[in-house]
Formats: sequence, C-alpha cells, structure tokens
Amino acid sequence: MKKDTAIKVSLFLLFSILCLLILIPFYAVTIASFKPGEDLVRYGLNLRFDLNVMSFDNFIYLFTGEHAYFSWFFNSLFLTVVQVALTLFVSATVAYGFSAYEFKGKNFLFICVLLIMMVPFEILLLPLYTLTYNIGLMNSYSAIILPGIAGAATIFFFRQYLSGIPKEIIAAGRVDGASEYGIYMRLILPVMKPSFAAMAILNGMNSWNNFLWPFMVLSDANKYTLPIGLKTLLTPYGNNYDLLIVGSFFSILPIFILFVAFQKYFIDGMTAGAVKG
Amino acid sequence: MKRKWFITLLALMMTTALWGCSGKSSSSAGAGGETSVLEGGAGENATELSYWTFVELHGQHFEKMLQKWNQANPDRQIKLNVTVMPYDDMHNKLSIAVQTGVGAPDISDIELGKFPDFLKDTPQLVPLNDVIDPYRDTIVKSRIDIYSKDGQNYGIPTHVGASVAFYNTEILEEAGVDYKSIVTWEDFKQAGIKVYEKTGKYMGTADTSATWQLSQLLAQQGTDFTDDQGNPQINSEAMVKALTILKDLQDNNVIATIAGGQPDTEEAYGEFNAGNYATAFMPLWQMSRYTNYMPELSGKIALAPIPVIEKGMPRSVGGGGTGTVVTKTAKDIQLAKDFLAFAKLSEDANIEIWNTLGFDPVNMDIWSKKEVTHNPENAFVKYFQNNPFDVLNDIKDEIRMIKSTSASPTINNVLCTVTLNEIFEDGKDIKQALDDAQAQILQDLK
Amino acid sequence: MIKRFLYSQKVAPYVFVLPFILVFVIFWAYPLASSFSMSFQKLTLGQEPQWVGMDNYAKLMGDGIFLKAVINSAVYMVLTLIILIPFPMLFAVLINSKFMWGREFFKSSFFFPALTSVVVAGTIFRLMFGEMEGSLINSVLGYFGIDPVKFLKGQVTGYIALVALATWRWTGVNMLYFLSGLKSIPDEYYEAASIDGATRFQKFTQITMPLLKPTTIYVLTISIYAGLAMFIESMMLWNGNNSPKNIGLTIVGYLYRQGIEKNNLGYAAAVGIVLLAITMIINLTQLTFSGMFKKED
Repeated sequence: MKKDTAIKVSLFLLFSILCLLILIPFYAVTIASFKPGEDLVRYGLNLRFDLNVMSFDNFIYLFTGEHAYFSWFFNSLFLTVVQVALTLFVSATVAYGFSAYEFKGKNFLFICVLLIMMVPFEILLLPLYTLTYNIGLMNSYSAIILPGIAGAATIFFFRQYLSGIPKEIIAAGRVDGASEYGIYMRLILPVMKPSFAAMAILNGMNSWNNFLWPFMVLSDANKYTLPIGLKTLLTPYGNNYDLLIVGSFFSILPIFILFVAFQKYFIDGMTAGAVKG
Repeated sequence: MKRKWFITLLALMMTTALWGCSGKSSSSAGAGGETSVLEGGAGENATELSYWTFVELHGQHFEKMLQKWNQANPDRQIKLNVTVMPYDDMHNKLSIAVQTGVGAPDISDIELGKFPDFLKDTPQLVPLNDVIDPYRDTIVKSRIDIYSKDGQNYGIPTHVGASVAFYNTEILEEAGVDYKSIVTWEDFKQAGIKVYEKTGKYMGTADTSATWQLSQLLAQQGTDFTDDQGNPQINSEAMVKALTILKDLQDNNVIATIAGGQPDTEEAYGEFNAGNYATAFMPLWQMSRYTNYMPELSGKIALAPIPVIEKGMPRSVGGGGTGTVVTKTAKDIQLAKDFLAFAKLSEDANIEIWNTLGFDPVNMDIWSKKEVTHNPENAFVKYFQNNPFDVLNDIKDEIRMIKSTSASPTINNVLCTVTLNEIFEDGKDIKQALDDAQAQILQDLK
Repeated sequence: MIKRFLYSQKVAPYVFVLPFILVFVIFWAYPLASSFSMSFQKLTLGQEPQWVGMDNYAKLMGDGIFLKAVINSAVYMVLTLIILIPFPMLFAVLINSKFMWGREFFKSSFFFPALTSVVVAGTIFRLMFGEMEGSLINSVLGYFGIDPVKFLKGQVTGYIALVALATWRWTGVNMLYFLSGLKSIPDEYYEAASIDGATRFQKFTQITMPLLKPTTIYVLTISIYAGLAMFIESMMLWNGNNSPKNIGLTIVGYLYRQGIEKNNLGYAAAVGIVLLAITMIINLTQLTFSGMFKKED
C-alpha cells in the first residue's frame, strides 16, 4: 500500500509540474494585460508581478477607448454563429442521406468525404482564391462560410452517430404518411440533438480561431474578425500593444468559459475523428 | 445548475462587450485595421473617397487638410474613408486589388520599397503630372522621380527623408564625448570605443533588417545598389567597403545588432528608450518615432550630420518615403488628384506635414521659414536639443538619392532577410556574402 | 409533378447529399484540378494566363529558397512527430492509471492551449522568446547564469521556438486521442496479463502499445499533414512571412509568398502540387508500412 501512495504522489507531482509549464503562457498574458504595452515591448513577455506598473488602464481602454476591437469581436461572434448553424444543419442533412438510404454512387461519394480529409486545405488556397475572385465573392462572409459548409469531419461524425439510431423511426414515419424530408426534419433532427453539442463546439472553435482564409478574402476593415484584427495590431506604426495583449486575453475568455461549462462536449468533439481510427 | 451560472456569466460578458462597442466614436483614425470616416466638416453632397495607409499618423494629417479643403471648396466637398492596415498586408491587398480592378481604394499610400511592384508592366495608377506641375519648381525633384516611370509621375511624396544622426547626449556626456566633433567614421569609431569602455553601452546599431546605413555609405561614395541601367550591383567594391567599415565598428564594440534588427522597430524603440544604444543614423522621419515611442529621451537627443568616410563627401541621402497614388478605378479621379495635390504639395500642406508628422517637407521653401521651423510650440522642436532645420539647412545641398528600380524590392528582401544577418550575426565573409546575395537576386529576378 | 419527383424515395437521398456534391465539386475538385493546370501556367491575377509547360517545376528544382522551405517543413514535421507522439501516449497511459489523482483536471488543463487561436498563441510565444534579457525564456536562462539567446535569429533556436509552440498547443489534444484509444482496450487483457505475472512495463509494451496502433496511425497521419502544411505559426512567430535567413520559411509560407505577395500564381501552384505530392508519398508509404491497407484487402 505504501508503494502505491508513493506512486500516486510522484505521478501527481509530475503532472502538476507539467500543468504549471502549460499554464505559464496564460499566466504571462494575464499579467501582461495589466501592464502598459510599452513595458512589454521593452522587456518582452515575462512573469514579473510588479504592482507599480500594473493597472486596469488597458481594460479601461479596451472598454472605453477608440478602437475597433468590439467590431472585430462581434464580427467573429456573428460569423461563428452563422457558420456553425449552417454547417451543422447542412452536414447533418448530408450525413442523414448517407446513413438512411442505399443509393447508386453512395460509396463513391463517401470516399470523396474521406478524400477531403486527406488533402491539406492550404494547397487549395490559391485556386480557391482565384475562384472567389471570379465569382465575385471577394470580401464577403459567404466566401468564408461556403467552402466549409459540408464539413467532412462533421459529416463523418454525424453518420457515425446516426448509425446508432434505429431504422424503425424512419419506417414508422413513412407509415404515418410523412414525406422523406418531413421524417428528417420532424423525427430525426430532434433525436440528433445530443450529437450537435460536440460538433457545435468543434466547429465553433475552428471558426472563432480561423485565420488564414478569412485573412486572404477580407479586405474591408469593417468586416475583420478577431484574429485578423489582432494581427493588424502587430505593426510598428502605432502604439498597439496595450490593446493587443488585453485583446488577446479577452478573446480567450469566452472560449475558456464555454470550455469550463461544456468540457465533456469539447473533448468528445475533438476526439470524434479518432475513435474509429 | 452550474452550467446555467456559466451561461449567465457569458451572456453578461457579451452585453458588457456590446456596451463597450456603442461607446466607440468614429471621428479620427484609430488603431490598426480600423476604418473610420473623416467628415472634415463636409456637407451632405460630399463625395466619399476611400484611402488606405499603413501609417496611422498619415490619416491624421489628411484629417487636417480635409478640413481646409472642404472649407475652400464648398462645391467639391469630400468625406475620407481611412483604412489603416499593417505594412505587408496593405501592400499585398492593394497589389491584388489594382491588378484585378476589384476592391481598390480611390487613394492609397505606397511605400517606396514596394512602389516598383506597382510600376511593373502597365501601371494601374493614374499619372499625376498635371496636378504636380503647379508645384514642380518648389519641390525636390528626386522625390518625384522615385515614384515615376517613363516621365509619368504616379506618386506624390510625403517628405525628403534626409538622413541624419540622432545622438543620445546623456550617454555621450557620461563617456566624455562631444558629438559635434564627430566628422568621419573614424571619429565615430574612436568615440564609440570610448563610450563602450566608459559606459558599457553601444554607440550605434548594426542593422540586419534595413539598409538605411548602407544607403548612406553608398551615397557617400557616389554609388548605388543598382547601376545606371537599374541592374543590381550588390557585390560592388563600394558595398564591400561600406560593410567593411560597419563590420569593423561591430568588431570594436562600437555598434551591435539590436532587437528588431534596426532602429525603426518596436523592440528597438524599447532598447533606445532604455538608453542601451547612443546613436541612430536614420532619415529625419525617425523624429516622430522618438516623440511617440521614446518619451524618456525627451531633451536628450541631438541631431547632427552623419559621419563620412572622408571629409567633403556628401553627408546625407533621402531615405524611405511614401508615395500617395490615385488608382485607375477611383470614383472621381480628378477630385482625388486635386485633393491629393492640395493635401500634400501646397504650402499649407507642407507646413502641416512638418507640424503634425515631423517630416522634412518636400517643399524646400518651408525649410527657411523661421516662424514655421522654429515655432517654440512645436512638439518636435521641444523634444530635441537642437533645431532639426539647423541641421537640415546645413546639409541641404548634400542630400543624395538611392534609385528605386524594379530590382529594388528583391534587393531589399535578400539583403534584409539573408545577407546582413549572415554578416553581422554569423560573421560570414563580406565578399562571399555579397557574391551569394548578387547570385540570389539575379536568380529571383529571372 | 416536380414535387412528386423530388419527394420520391429514389430521389430524396440525392437531395440530401446534394450540398456535399456541390461543395465537393466547386470548392474541392475544381480547385484541385485548377491547381494542377495553374502549375503549368504563367499566371498573374487580372491578366490572361500563358501555358509554359514544365517551366515552373524546372525553376522550382533550382530554387534554393524553396529547398530551404522544404527542409524547414520537413525538420519541423519530424521534430513534432518525435515529441508529439511518444509523450502524449505516455501521459495518456499515466493519466489513465488507477494511481492518478485529479484526472479530469489535468485532462482539461493539458487540452486548454488548443483552444487559443494561432494568432494569439504565436504572439505570446514570439514575446516569450524575445531576445531581450527580460523576456520570459531569457530571464529563466539568466537565472541559471546563461546569457540571453537571440532565439528567433538562429536556425536551431528558431526550430526550438516553433516546436515549443506546437508542443504547447497539441500535447493535450494528442493525449486525448490516445485516451480515447485506451478506453477501447478491454480490462480483461490486463487482468489476464497480471495473472501471468507480467510486469507493468511488459503490459505497456505487449498490450497497450500494439492495441493503440490504430490511434497512433491516426495521430501520425494528421501530424504529418499538419507538420508539412504549417505556416501561420511561423508567420506569427516572426511577425510576417520574412524571417532572418528564411529560418522560419515553410512550404506553405513560400506558396503564400509567391502567390499572394508576388502574384506568381502559377509558380505558387507548382509549390502546392509539390507539397501535395510530398504529403501523399509520405503518408501512403507510412500507411502501407503500418499495414493499414492490408486489412481492407
């Protein structure tokens, strides 16, 4: 028994140390958000806790200052909500099509779903870019939302989930005279609800943090999202570090709160792809 | 129960955020990435023009000039929609926008280093010769030439960018050095050795990510990065000589590399502000960096001509610059052109450029107007120990120029990311590094 | 009539999967195909394309900077594989053991860095690895009497910063993958092994490791993709796509530089196709060697 306790204590110590290492950057940002940006530029990001230089000035500036932070924040929020809602609905619909029916070309199409997951998105950046330009979607949120609207990983997850739902529901629906679409809308969607949480979080997180593609597509500063906006603060031609750090801190906060509240779904969503390895 | 609590908190946070948002006003150009509409007292019928820049301060200058324009031209009033973006992103987006003809602003700033990219093939910019003509006699010709192709002037300059030395006299006095006695690089070296011995601080910077000092040293030798045809000549003897001088300074602890790679970066502002380096050799516009980002050095910085290799060599070169352009897709081209000339070339504009931005105006008549240049209320006059224009007028006839050719962006990129790092950080042989650079540049230009 | 057609059981499945077909064709198959054709063109936005045959590829072969980018991406990928597979696996096994206190807490805190955007995380690490004496890493080094290091100016130290960022963000995620793999291993195996007198180490190598193989292969595959396609991490760490001596330039970074910054879309497309070829070759080889395809035969 003694030996077990020793193992327990040493394991706990090991993980506590690792955990501290992982949390250090968060701690550093939190501290830095109370320091003037100039301090940060001069000394770099560090752990010095010095009440003489720390103040709420940055937070006051964040909430009352003259800057575009909250327009980025709400653009991000808006885009995330719309993107998640559309992606979930469309992907669930597609997944239902795959799971409920046998039809010609089904296997081929499903291989296509897997193919999408196999090619790094970055390779498609340029042709997508010229395509977006040619169909006149530059600088619009549609250009950001549309390519991901039938997300491969999301479809895959939903199909997996739907395979666990008894086919009798569909049969019963048909007996009651519901149309194919009525069955999906009225009978299946409600049953799928629990699986939406994990995917909403996975997609929401990706959307909230999405950077490269929106950055390439958007040129109107009024449409910038949070990551793009924060990136624009990284220029030597303006005293922006005050806002940058407090803004970064504040951008983590909503995810942090969501994470603490819906931890289980986060973890389910992240590992969804791996379960079937 | 616990979850509900969190959701409430989240909702609360979002609401707070909303409240913060509504408090935002749109009267002036703010931090990066923001669009703000400058009204400038314009009436309802004003034409709205869009303007992109990578320097927040330029927006402030335009705001002042807009007010004057709208007063003077009640029938041609303008609202200016200013977007501030980071340097790289703004130029990338502008380049794509003018090439595709979609989404370009009416007016835009283009930095000198990027300008040649916009002059390739058929420039998608509007020639500005007719609006420049009325002012042509009063402004420095070379500053127009750098934004021109085949006799067409595409950009309106902001400043001369005469290079000067910025000395931190506090450090120099501690080491018993008088900056006024520094005439040649040898003098500078001796002074620097003294400073390092006495204070442990470096006299200057070995720049790895900019070519200000190199341009200065090349201009002194009467040469350039490119030959008369505009072809790169990076491994020229003058280049070897310039870098040998700098390397020798580094070996003697007179200069050292700086965080950020050159004086005009946020990291370097911090280093200078903390008094770790005594000198910067920069174009005059660096003044505004001092007043904005290095408040602790107020009253300690003196301006002087740059040291030369041999007495009698020209002591300055125009450095950096921003050409403001009108795009071919502009809403009202004539209006945009007229406003631009008014806002950047008129005498009023040039006085404002000095007052707001702290730049050396391209209209040299201003340089001798004492009431403007020596105005005791001026923030720049207050900050520096001696009057900037005393130095400027001293070197007035010695300001050389470095050509801007289609090879320039590539040359700049190779020198600032590879070559200078190899020489100052890794101690690579100078001739070898320059030969490699020349080969790389030729390969890239193919 | 149309309504009846659309509502028939034969047509309905196609209506359901139609959005996917559209997205697949418009935003995946077409761009991929045009990526191929672009790579044989001299293409500038706003101008007519010109067919140039293999010119872009020929130029790529002699392009030293492209080679540098490939090496950087490859080194980065290998380093992340070396760190981000064994350690998360080990942590997952430890955290899953009956000796673990505070399991849920550690799981969450390890996972948390993955929630931050690369823009924010990259900026934090750039400042932590700043070359000033007072920056976090240098002040720690200073504590041990080591002089400040210019992390982001040297090749090796640059890799360290990049890998540190990747490790920080992905350790927790990979650990979760392995944890979910561990869940599918029945307890009876271990019980049987205990009866046979197997040591803990034997159980790990004889039972855990082989049975985690599918998870490992999954993690390996996505890590290879992610490693080779890395870009924004480098962009944030060096505050732009230009790092000293190109120490942080990656393949996608070079694609971005040529395509977006220099408007050589054709040349950039060739870079993309080479990247696609490299990832495909590595992953297909890896999957073949690990026997993934055998099972399906």
